[in-house]
Amino acid sequence: MSTIPEESKIQTVKEKKSYPYYIENPVEENRVERFLEAFAAILKYTDYKPLLDSYCNSSAKCNRCAVTCPVFQVTHDPRDIPCYRTNLLLDTYKRYFTIGGWFKSRFTSTFELTDDIIDEMLDGFYRCTACRRCTRECPMGVDHGMITRLGRYILSLMGIVPKALQVSTREQLEGETHNTSQIPKAALLNTLEFLSEELKDMLGIEVEFPVDKMKRDYVFFCAVSDYLLEPETLMGNAAVLYASGDWDRWTIGTCNYDGINYGLFYSDWHLESIIKQLIAEVDRLKGKNILIGECGHASRSAHDFVPVFSNGKPYPVYNFMEYTLKCIKEGRIKLNNDIVTEKVTYHDPCNIARSGWIIDQPREILKSFVPNFVEMTPHGKDNYCCGGGGGLVSVDEIHDFRMNIAGKVKAEQIRRTGAEIVISPCANCKKQLKELVEHYELPCQVMGIHDLILKAIEIPGAKSAAERNEEAEMFAM
Amino acid sequence: MEAWIDFAKGPLFAVTFLIMILGLARLLIIQVYNLIISKGGRLKNAPWKSILKDAVTWFIPVKHLIKGTVIFSAFSFMFHIGVILVPVLLADHIVLWENFLGANLPAIGQGFADFLTLFTIGCILVLLIMRVFVRRQRAMSKPMDYFLLIMVLLPFASGYFASHPGSNPLTWESMMLVHLLSAEFLLVLIPFTKLAHIVLYFFDRISGLHWQLRPGAGDKVARALFDEEARV
Repeated sequence: MSTIPEESKIQTVKEKKSYPYYIENPVEENRVERFLEAFAAILKYTDYKPLLDSYCNSSAKCNRCAVTCPVFQVTHDPRDIPCYRTNLLLDTYKRYFTIGGWFKSRFTSTFELTDDIIDEMLDGFYRCTACRRCTRECPMGVDHGMITRLGRYILSLMGIVPKALQVSTREQLEGETHNTSQIPKAALLNTLEFLSEELKDMLGIEVEFPVDKMKRDYVFFCAVSDYLLEPETLMGNAAVLYASGDWDRWTIGTCNYDGINYGLFYSDWHLESIIKQLIAEVDRLKGKNILIGECGHASRSAHDFVPVFSNGKPYPVYNFMEYTLKCIKEGRIKLNNDIVTEKVTYHDPCNIARSGWIIDQPREILKSFVPNFVEMTPHGKDNYCCGGGGGLVSVDEIHDFRMNIAGKVKAEQIRRTGAEIVISPCANCKKQLKELVEHYELPCQVMGIHDLILKAIEIPGAKSAAERNEEAEMFAM
Repeated sequence: MEAWIDFAKGPLFAVTFLIMILGLARLLIIQVYNLIISKGGRLKNAPWKSILKDAVTWFIPVKHLIKGTVIFSAFSFMFHIGVILVPVLLADHIVLWENFLGANLPAIGQGFADFLTLFTIGCILVLLIMRVFVRRQRAMSKPMDYFLLIMVLLPFASGYFASHPGSNPLTWESMMLVHLLSAEFLLVLIPFTKLAHIVLYFFDRISGLHWQLRPGAGDKVARALFDEEARV
């Protein structure tokens, strides 16, 4: 039986080059039994069984998924074929959880789950960015992203999950701060104060961020890391809310201010628990709607799963770009189209484009004030993943994999546009794309859509966009 | 030999056809039950519009002829046209449907049927060759994938030979028996192999509905495994 070595690193699979990740408590014994036990429990209590039954009896193995996968396009390694990975789990299901599989095993030497196969799964399921591009091109409609997630779910119940995801999720659910970046309430309030001061310097307006205000129309959740890493995005959000006249219609809650939900990537239990935590905060504040900042998976998890896990009528969930576009259409905010002269392109985060509902909205916003907008090819639902999807961007030890394999196609796609600014309204994608830009020395900068809006927005009574632009240029000199 | 042919055309066909129908009905019922009854009200939250829109594009998958898959996809699609039309609408088969089901279907002309048959055989050969020679396809293939293609090829090839005495290497009776038995074996295989996609295809195409997870299930799974408060 193979074991996980002491330093908690997962070893290479069958001598192929692999990209290890750290796990907290390596499982060393009875891995096959534990895998099957976890799988059986999932089949007993969840709805995955009919899905697996259907996929087992129809998977065509046509390999169309392979050519659509940005990882396979780089490696040409059979283990990176989505269908191959999916069939590792389907074969296990067929063999151990169907009558046909049991019957076949009585008469022939058939598939057996071994430690090598578990190694292959724990490697393969985290070489997938869960972008679901393959799902879109599967003629049968096999959702490889869902199967990858199910595989990860089983592994997580054995304790095999990247430490980076597990530690963050634990803090979010059981920690004192209830957020993945461990930002305490005091630090949040300091950050909001700092953002108010910055807005005053930049725009010349006095604003105080609304905190714990009751019965507001919008309760705001962003990827909590934005409070540390993306102040301009948040200031852009604030500027839109201020300019639209909705400043007294929104609030940030201090019991839970994190939209991140890594459960979307590896566990039903975590997904549901985090969603319920989010709903509880809106309940506490007696809010009416959930407004999610620039984050793809936070938007998708809230939008798709608040209705699933709500008792009673679910809160409507909006991505901030939907709100901004609505304000533009209603003439409540004005954007100066002389400010952004650079060539701008837009990266579609998989979770809100291919797996979501946000494709045209950001383009309408950008085209309203960016004269030099260029599309990537392909884009929209067919867009390529940044290479850090499915939680991989948070796993620092697979940086090489994210740069040289998973993100390579994306980097080439960006280079081909010749854009000077890449807009990515997603905290995960932004981090990955910034690293790609540095790694491949791409002549562009990555920012959120509201970072750009902050440059061009015209607010009555505030400094004009042109004035701010001049100040910024002087400061840069 | 005549008696064997009559047996294969009569009772054996009825039995194998019934196995196929019952087998597929079982799959259909399980899927419908699990989707509609088990998920119930949760389905109203599903993104039906985008799921159905995606599903519809696959009925004429021109938009999906993406670079690197054009040959395989085109032949695979065309192969399905023959596989559906010839067994159902060939003049000789129409008699069978009339005898067993009382259905009065329109027949396709013999010339067109011959063309479709040869065309389908050609498509199967291309798919077989690609499975053998394209590395990424070979890597995925199992014996069953080849076996099923050959099993689909057999009734088409034997049917063509049986109706064209000039090219038939065997006697008409022998070839007809091969045709009948291989087709009937195929009928039995359908519900138990990936050929079940005759029915399951429609459920796979809307499998996005399975993102409507069962509330509380994750907690039950964790408790069943850890026998205590679920650990994070």
